[in-house]
Amino acid sequence: MCQSCHVPAGSPYRTAERPELLGDTAEGAAGLTTHAPQAAQTVVLPDSLDEAVAALTAMPAAVPVAGGTDLMAAVNAGLLRPSALVGLGRISELRGWHYQDGAALLGSGLTHARIGRPDFAALIPALAAAARAAGPPQVRNAGTLGGNIASADRTGDALPVLAALDATVLIAEPAGGHREIPVSHLLAGVEMLRTGELIAFVRAPLLHAPQVFLKATGRTGPGRAAASVALVLDPARRAVRCAVGAVAPAPLRPMEAEQWVAGLMDWDGHRGLPPEALAAFGDYVAAACIPDPPPGAEGEEPPRLPAAALHLRRTVSALARRALGRALS
Amino acid sequence: MNPSQERTAAPSATTAVPPAEPEGHGIGASLPATDLAAKTEGTFPYAADLWAEGLLWAALHRSPHAHARIVSVDTSAAEAMPGVRVVVTHRDLPDAADHGRGVRDRPVFAHDVVRHHGEPVAAVAADHPDTARLAAAAIAVEYELLDPVTDPQAAFEAEPLHPDGNLIRHIPLRYGDPQAAGEVVVEGTYRIGRQDPAPIGAEAGLAVPRPDGGVEIYAAATDPHSVRDQVSACLGLAADRVKVVVTGVPGATGDREDGSMQLPLGLLALRTGSPVKLLATREESFLGHAHRHPTLLRYRHHADARGKLVKVEAQILMDGGAYADTSADALAAAVSFSCGPYVVPHAFVDGWVVRTNNPPSGHVRGEGAMQVCAAYEGQMDKLAAALGMEPAELRARNVMATGDLLPTGQTVTCPAPVAELLTAVREAPLPPEDPGERALLPGGPEGAGEPGVVRRGVGYGLGMVHMLGAEGADEVATATVRVSGGAATVICAAVETGQGFATLARQIVQEVLGVDEVHTAPVDTDQPTAGPACHGRHTWVSGGAVERAAKMVRTQLLQPLAQKFGMSAELLTIADGKITSYDGVLSTTVAEALEGKELWATAQCRPHPTEPLDANGQGDAFVGMAFCAVRAVVDVDVELGAVRVVEMAVAQDVGKVLNPRQLAARIEAGVTQGVGAALMENLRTNKGIVRRPDLTGYPLPTALDAPDVRIVKLVEERDVVAPFGAKAASAAPVVTSPAAIAAAVRAATGRPVSRLPIRPQSAAVQ
Repeated sequence: MCQSCHVPAGSPYRTAERPELLGDTAEGAAGLTTHAPQAAQTVVLPDSLDEAVAALTAMPAAVPVAGGTDLMAAVNAGLLRPSALVGLGRISELRGWHYQDGAALLGSGLTHARIGRPDFAALIPALAAAARAAGPPQVRNAGTLGGNIASADRTGDALPVLAALDATVLIAEPAGGHREIPVSHLLAGVEMLRTGELIAFVRAPLLHAPQVFLKATGRTGPGRAAASVALVLDPARRAVRCAVGAVAPAPLRPMEAEQWVAGLMDWDGHRGLPPEALAAFGDYVAAACIPDPPPGAEGEEPPRLPAAALHLRRTVSALARRALGRALS
Repeated sequence: MNPSQERTAAPSATTAVPPAEPEGHGIGASLPATDLAAKTEGTFPYAADLWAEGLLWAALHRSPHAHARIVSVDTSAAEAMPGVRVVVTHRDLPDAADHGRGVRDRPVFAHDVVRHHGEPVAAVAADHPDTARLAAAAIAVEYELLDPVTDPQAAFEAEPLHPDGNLIRHIPLRYGDPQAAGEVVVEGTYRIGRQDPAPIGAEAGLAVPRPDGGVEIYAAATDPHSVRDQVSACLGLAADRVKVVVTGVPGATGDREDGSMQLPLGLLALRTGSPVKLLATREESFLGHAHRHPTLLRYRHHADARGKLVKVEAQILMDGGAYADTSADALAAAVSFSCGPYVVPHAFVDGWVVRTNNPPSGHVRGEGAMQVCAAYEGQMDKLAAALGMEPAELRARNVMATGDLLPTGQTVTCPAPVAELLTAVREAPLPPEDPGERALLPGGPEGAGEPGVVRRGVGYGLGMVHMLGAEGADEVATATVRVSGGAATVICAAVETGQGFATLARQIVQEVLGVDEVHTAPVDTDQPTAGPACHGRHTWVSGGAVERAAKMVRTQLLQPLAQKFGMSAELLTIADGKITSYDGVLSTTVAEALEGKELWATAQCRPHPTEPLDANGQGDAFVGMAFCAVRAVVDVDVELGAVRVVEMAVAQDVGKVLNPRQLAARIEAGVTQGVGAALMENLRTNKGIVRRPDLTGYPLPTALDAPDVRIVKLVEERDVVAPFGAKAASAAPVVTSPAAIAAAVRAATGRPVSRLPIRPQSAAVQ
């Protein structure tokens, strides 16, 4: 660990320096000056992935921080009091990407702003579209891909894209090793990050085919998704993969709808589908993600979805239909 | 492949303003705001920047429940924490120490019961803000949960939530013949959400104990004298022992007199003998200050076959939250303007404002008037549909003019150019139908919008709002003008909230005294009151007081000169710091004429009195009214229900343009606040608990949401009773814009749209 990187966390506020001058205090007052016991005691700024993992191993309670757009908001709101922070901002190897076996290895420190740029959009268009939709410029400049995964917010815009890409995460392990698990496993809680582990890279396939990310929000300005749909075509496997974000704690994959529409398509031809097929796909996806409530007892009126859920279902249906239409156009 | 890639940033919202006169000085010039440079450079001192050596930090323990009985409060754990100086509860205050604007029915610290989520129960002063927060959290309050009353309709029958009862006010308005009936009758129910004033800067303040046992409170108050009176009453101090000093106000579209914060601050300063600072979090800000009244409105409009209104029947139920605040005034505005700027021969309206366990309601720009505007304009659209008429044509057939009567029996004596306003927005050219390549679709630049399913709608809204306090409120302001050495100073307790009063005062003095260099003194309660910064009162009464004082100084300045030259003072003019006589013979500068003297004058402005509404809702309750017409053009993605406001064309009755640039800014701001109320702003609660008290859960309009604002006409018809003939400009567009947007969404989708903010499911076509 780079010892010189230890920076004591100073109190952000000046404290009363001479309590004896403050006059008679009321009963019960201890009359002592405190530092901020809640502020992180230690902040480590490693220069490499190995150092970061070593720091996390050495301080199991430390929290890694990249863009801090979610983490620091939680700290400021008093929801989180990390005793130590490992800042990832100096690890340059995590802030770019490289290629391996026909896939891209995306550094977890890639910011939304970087992902949204045209050169990246040429590689993985849907992820670039999601990054451009991921909040106002200030958030996009700071927030990172790895942070999006680690926060696992249901409205995380990159998450449905990663799910649709069948992306995997490379997790750096303490002893210099790594393991690789599907993003969806991490998001669904099938597998968890263990002590000392750090999300290092995301392996995303380069599909060289159209892909779309669409998001419905309540306003014209940047906002959290009410629902989002990522759809990618995988011509090599003759597959359509689609994931729906924001309607459930983790992105949902309507597998049956994907297979159905992939079977419908003429992969060797122009890949177009009639509007009815697009609409049917949308409805298929929506019904899979927002299912009807289970039927009631015999003779009872069948339960109905509340109006808000019905609107959400229509929204997902429209998004999925539009996404497929744009991918095939 | 991916269309979203091709769409780049949207064209920025633009405002078409009538050409402003070249920047000069005096009335009518586009003088920039006096604090412009400091605010843009980041050196403007806001209340949150206050500092005093050795200060302590305050934090409040707020109720996590909407309605509960307090069984016990144990502060021992908090007091034992290192760094904690004092913990105070209601036991530290004189008995029956209640505060509140309008009605004093709010305890400083809840005891016995808490009546809303976030009500203060105790306060802590400690030497570090985090220590104070932790200590506040360590105060152990045992609550016995009570059923919250959150439906205002249930409040009538519910157990009283407060010794004053649940009905804060009922106004029955009876006007005309109850038997009157029209050939066409339409009914509608409307619901308006809870808009938060959402000031840019959250509440903050600093209290400093004084050697004489008093306390000085530095805060961004918009009505410092009211704060002083409440603090002195609640702390048991004489009024002269409390001084409130106004510091930089970081935005105020509602009240900034959060006594629930300034009172504990004052108490903590007195108890510790140290300066105490409090910086509210955004969450506390949402929980603590007053919101727009959520309102339920039921309307029945009668009209004849030609579209003339015959009768309006309405029931208006406003949710006042736990305390009365200024709810009674909001209800008076709602009931009085329940028929809108239309001639209605018969009106039967019942308005109630009731107490619930929801977040507190109070003054937010256009309170009362905005809620009814959304409803009566919805009714006008319904009536137009029933009659098969153009909505704008139906409105044109019913608009009121000067001399017509309000349903309160008050004659509208001020200019009421409603027909002219409506004509102006009807005749304004529409934005291009085909928005072109770079257009912004509903849903935003990276949204899911698809041009094929976007429908355009055009809707009209006409609205009115009153100026100054109503129903006999004493609306007085006092101002002092001092001239010495070629510069003038204005001393007036009118708070500059960003509305531009400081700039206006400068312009008035420039106009009257011809002195270019004009300063405005900081505001504190040692100055005589100028009243709260709301209802456009500072443009009117404080501006009027400044003008009178300046004119008195002018007389003092010119009288000796006139005598010396044997002519009357009226024959002398002052411009650009020079005094000249009508014939050009005499010419001297203001500085010379002063001969080293200092001239002072103090004047008051008090508009003509008003009277309370009587048992039938009748009475001359308002000093003046301002009118506004808005044409909204919206694009709706009819599948997703996403709405984008393309353009808002505004025609407004302003009396006289005092500062074109500031006026345009006020109208833009008002329209944008209206867009928020129409499309997104609603502080949602669940059984009285505020669900998302932060700016992620409570979205405000961003630059991308703000529409192009086209000011198509500013009608300058002087209001003879108002100083300069000018009318307040901020509230009218807030009142009218949501109604116009709702009308446009109706036109685009054919859906009824009876709820604000408009939810996507209400704007989607199935």
